[in-house]
Amino acid sequence: MAWYNDRGKASESVLCTKVQLRRNLGAYPFPVSLEAASANEILQKLSPPLEALGFRKINFSDISAIMATSYVEKHYASPAFASVGGPHVLLLQEKPDIAVTLCGEDHLRICCILPGLDPKEAFAHASEIERVLDGENELAFDPDLGYLTQSPADLGTGLSVSVMLFLPALAESLCIGSLASHLGKLGLSLRGGFGEGVSTSCGLFELSNRVTLGKDENEILSLVEEVTLQILEREEEARRAIRKEPLDRLTDRIRRSEAILKSALLLSSEEFLRLFADVRLGIALGIVRGITYEQLSTLLVEGMPATLTLSADTTPRSEHARDALRAKRVQALLHEA
Amino acid sequence: MIKSTMLCEQCKKRTATVFYNEKLNGRSRSLSLCGECASKLRESGEIRDVTSMIGSFADPFSALQDERFGDFFGLRILRAKEEKILCPCCGRALAAILNDGKVGCAECYSAFSGELSPLLRSLHGGATHRGRIPSRLLARRARIEQLSRLREELQKAITEEKFEEAARLRDEIRVLEEQKEGNGNGLV
Repeated sequence: MAWYNDRGKASESVLCTKVQLRRNLGAYPFPVSLEAASANEILQKLSPPLEALGFRKINFSDISAIMATSYVEKHYASPAFASVGGPHVLLLQEKPDIAVTLCGEDHLRICCILPGLDPKEAFAHASEIERVLDGENELAFDPDLGYLTQSPADLGTGLSVSVMLFLPALAESLCIGSLASHLGKLGLSLRGGFGEGVSTSCGLFELSNRVTLGKDENEILSLVEEVTLQILEREEEARRAIRKEPLDRLTDRIRRSEAILKSALLLSSEEFLRLFADVRLGIALGIVRGITYEQLSTLLVEGMPATLTLSADTTPRSEHARDALRAKRVQALLHEA
Repeated sequence: MIKSTMLCEQCKKRTATVFYNEKLNGRSRSLSLCGECASKLRESGEIRDVTSMIGSFADPFSALQDERFGDFFGLRILRAKEEKILCPCCGRALAAILNDGKVGCAECYSAFSGELSPLLRSLHGGATHRGRIPSRLLARRARIEQLSRLREELQKAITEEKFEEAARLRDEIRVLEEQKEGNGNGLV
């Protein structure tokens, strides 16, 4: 079971928590200056201990573009990783979901994704994997700059903590802009959309730390967690305000969205995202019953173009065929329950 | 491995990586310096710290390249030369690093410490690392602390004329020191 098939703490507003450790080996140039032979050496050093732990190895140089995109859609790899030219590998473990990418933007990136809000638990899982690799390999490190990374923006702890938030009420109240600039002062960033590459925000936001140097791991994890809880409080306030108003207009919109989701023959990804946001809010407001957050998360990921295409018995040849397939998948999953 | 051949005018030992062209009261002066000498001269006020002034308000990656800012302050970093400044370890050009924000290797951070410092300041506000360190260094740090503690105890045992204990401590220190040598080269 992957992160998107499950629920966790504060699932009504948090889809998942992603914690990533960025590391490099001191003995090799960073990926930007790395030759294929050296990249292969690194892969041979770092892959076997993880495979011994039960990680599945996916050689990105050997897989199709659509398969690579599907891993990006599931948040196991970044778009930049998928487009690397030289040898690069993804090692994957499920429950808890840990994705280790080798020779992408850094030699080693260990990413743990958990459903709901749980930065400390995700960090503990990622750290366990780091411990396995740290003993045998000399990691690039400087006492003042911390872990040395290809991007100077990641220096220090090399730790990235991000939470995927669902804030439809705040998004509608138009105060997201001022919230984002306030968060900037705290060393955090808030971006709209479900990961990179998805343009429509539909109430989805990603909150992550920008500061990696000068704060230790615990401070960064606590900062993200505490600020998330504060944002959730404000979202809850905004939802309470919505509830006070006459609900018929909103209820009507949500019920229409639910009905379309359950019976449309064609669903484009943009339309799906819009309906997804309405129905998810509907569950929180008690308007929609019989649909769960984890079902919606599953649909969000499995309805993405590449993942959807891969899951079909016969590859949909046109956008029209893909929209039909998406609608079929959505209904199959919702009627299962 | 590619090496940049120009030497620092100040120390005449290290590779020159910082190039200044200053116009002051109608007189112009050019200097080729290594990162270390450049920061020394900057501290002593011999040359003006313009790069950090630029770095603090402009986009960190373009700050060092924007010649208009440089000229505005009467000081210019020569871009053409940046193309030729290469990391002695991985051979990546300083210009490439400033252009896409991708550092070539761990060594680049020390080879270009002077040039990267305004960028690091604008990204991280001059902070230094706190938090986790690699396990090898952790073990080494623990060993160093233990060694200094044992040496203190040894000194105390000698002054107090407890020679049996002193001999035991000396053996313990020797074992620890041998471990250190056997452990190969670390980074710090």
